[in-house]
Amino acid sequence: MRYKVKCVCDSFNPRKCLSFPLFLHTVRTAEPLEYHRSYLKENCRHDGRELSEFRTTTLNIGSISTADGSALVKLGNTTVICGIKAELANPTVEAPGKGYIVPNVDLPPLCSSRFRPGPPGEQAQAASQFIADVIESSEVIQTEDLCIDRGKLCWVLYCDLMCLDYDGNLLDACIIALLAALKNTKLPEVTINTETCSPEVNLEKRRELHVHKHPVGASFCIFDNSILIVDPMSEEESLCTAHLTVVTDEEERLCAVHKPGGTSLSGEKLQECITRAATRQREIQKLIDKVINSVKAAQ
Amino acid sequence: MFSSLKDKVGQVLLPGDEFSFQADDTISLSGPVKPEKMVCGPGLRRSGDRLLVCKSGVLRHKPPNMFWMDSQQRRYVPVKGETVIGIVTVKSGDVFKVDFGGSEQASLSYLAFEGATKRNRPNVQVGDLVFAQFLVANKDMEPELVCVDSVGRANGMGVFGSGGLLFTVSLGLVRRLLAPHSDVLQDLQQLFPCELVVGMNGRLWVKSSSLQRTLVIANLLQSCDTMTAPQRQTLFRRVAQGAL
Amino acid sequence: MEVYGSSGVSLREFGCEQSLLSRPDGSASFIQGDTSVLAGVYGPAEVKVSKEIYDRATLEVLMQPKVGLPSVRERSQEQCVRETCEASLLLSLHPRSSLTLILQVLHDDGSLLSCSLNAACMALMDAGLPMSCLFCGVTCAIDTEGRIITDPTAAQEKESRALMTFAIDSKEHRVLMSATKGSFSVNELQQCIAVSQSASEKIFQFYRDSVRRRYSKTL
Repeated sequence: MRYKVKCVCDSFNPRKCLSFPLFLHTVRTAEPLEYHRSYLKENCRHDGRELSEFRTTTLNIGSISTADGSALVKLGNTTVICGIKAELANPTVEAPGKGYIVPNVDLPPLCSSRFRPGPPGEQAQAASQFIADVIESSEVIQTEDLCIDRGKLCWVLYCDLMCLDYDGNLLDACIIALLAALKNTKLPEVTINTETCSPEVNLEKRRELHVHKHPVGASFCIFDNSILIVDPMSEEESLCTAHLTVVTDEEERLCAVHKPGGTSLSGEKLQECITRAATRQREIQKLIDKVINSVKAAQ
Repeated sequence: MFSSLKDKVGQVLLPGDEFSFQADDTISLSGPVKPEKMVCGPGLRRSGDRLLVCKSGVLRHKPPNMFWMDSQQRRYVPVKGETVIGIVTVKSGDVFKVDFGGSEQASLSYLAFEGATKRNRPNVQVGDLVFAQFLVANKDMEPELVCVDSVGRANGMGVFGSGGLLFTVSLGLVRRLLAPHSDVLQDLQQLFPCELVVGMNGRLWVKSSSLQRTLVIANLLQSCDTMTAPQRQTLFRRVAQGAL
Repeated sequence: MEVYGSSGVSLREFGCEQSLLSRPDGSASFIQGDTSVLAGVYGPAEVKVSKEIYDRATLEVLMQPKVGLPSVRERSQEQCVRETCEASLLLSLHPRSSLTLILQVLHDDGSLLSCSLNAACMALMDAGLPMSCLFCGVTCAIDTEGRIITDPTAAQEKESRALMTFAIDSKEHRVLMSATKGSFSVNELQQCIAVSQSASEKIFQFYRDSVRRRYSKTL
């Protein structure tokens, strides 16, 4: 059986073979790496994309009415929802004039069979840390803006990112969801009653959060130490030899070049990734602006 | 052909060091040259016409073309044909499970003892020490030990008797002990008469005329690892002179 | 041993000791200035059935901070160290076994991740695990005036505008791992990579010298 599959595999052209779904399934389960390689040899991928093509990205803003800001992002099948809840708190002693942002990425067992119930696994924790680093590095929000009364009162933004469907490229989806949700966030006005010294929240009057930078990520996978693919799916992620995520803002400054190990990458390839990330940033910023405008027009 | 490699014999190499051995450019006039065969020992890997060092250590060479890395590691990885000292941990039906300090336990059939038959089972209890050699040892299969050689003789292998002391040393020291004309063994022989069993897995078993002497030998051998030859000789001399 | 380069790459004083612990199969301590990390390796050992991989060894990295319990930050650093080690180790030679690497932070005075990577590499080498190449960690900080500082102290890290840590392999001196903080331009990134690559040569030379020192008794 194995021999037969191998035999056909050598001479098979994936573009022609798309009409043999059953045969493809056999190869895909028996020799997944070989299956993907045969496509990459033809400069395409098994879902019909080019090597440097992202999946269709759809964005829905303000999907959770109870949150202060929210967004739902679909990157192909990968679905991430972000809800932002603002709470009043005391600023930290080290930074009395600043508020703070607490991101959390959740990978529930619902989104993929590879995640087990229980405390967050390594991937979820690493993703949370990465999002926190991106927020800090890119200065997407100036934390001074979240201060209400210096040393006494500030806003804390709890950004909960929940993955509903996991099909690779979690980090990109999370960053887009976070950015869109922050753009959507409206904080109520707070006045401090001079007599009682207690804050009064006016829920009727809300103002938009000022988003200073627009960081957007682009993730890459390296196959067989040389082939670079963009926006990997879950299956590709598990077969590749290295991952890379580049985050850029609208001024083409890099906010993160995150490569957690794996096979090495040459300078030229890295430059290629950065250029691709910059174009991706422009595309996504355009998409977010378009969605926000359409939401505003609908109101 | 291996001149670049031979230059490095006796030197310390690190993982990632590479050598390429292409055929010499000079053409022999006396006739077609036979391609030289090369044997790569532990710590060296061949890929095509390149040789990759994958363990840190000292490069050793044995004529004509045998090369290996002499490294000091503690964890034993089984190799077919090597003799080890193991501890019987489980007795289940036809096989014993033996712990030899590797990544998994080896199996030892009850028939793999000298003179053992279905009727005449060997007397092996859980916790016994056995001296056995690997019949099967590769990365994909469960290692298998036997206490007989290819003609069915025990040849020194089997269950240990009572008494004696088992202790562990580094794998590098074990190889030095087993080398022909080992200088450590020669120094030891001049001390007291003793019975020494050396397992390739870093386990040594010593038995001497008294408990005190056994302990002295065990301590001496364990300290040999970190000593140079003159240091060791002075220590052995002091012990021989009755410093204890 | 003082390491100061003529090429302008200055690194703090290094120190390293291999096989200093008796229980682990391989151990090493690595000191960069006042930053110090102790690493221990166990394996190839028996693996839990749930973590068994049929064609290669399972590598686990545990990072213990100096005080308190490991947090989310340690988790993400563990991930970086683990994937770097996986790239350089020949894990397929020990299928269905487990390797455990424990990194204990003894003191943090900046460049912690790069020091952890260096300690990890020395410990893996000490354990005699098969590796296809070595790797080392280099941290670069860009200060407010745009100068690049290699191997920064905690104070220099705090004042810096951007901080990057790279793992460089010993064969082609390419980037295995990259972790960054702060924003920077493409040019600055390329410069930092170039600086790290030249710094890595010194670290690899240091590796060689310390291994040679270790084997000096058996030569």
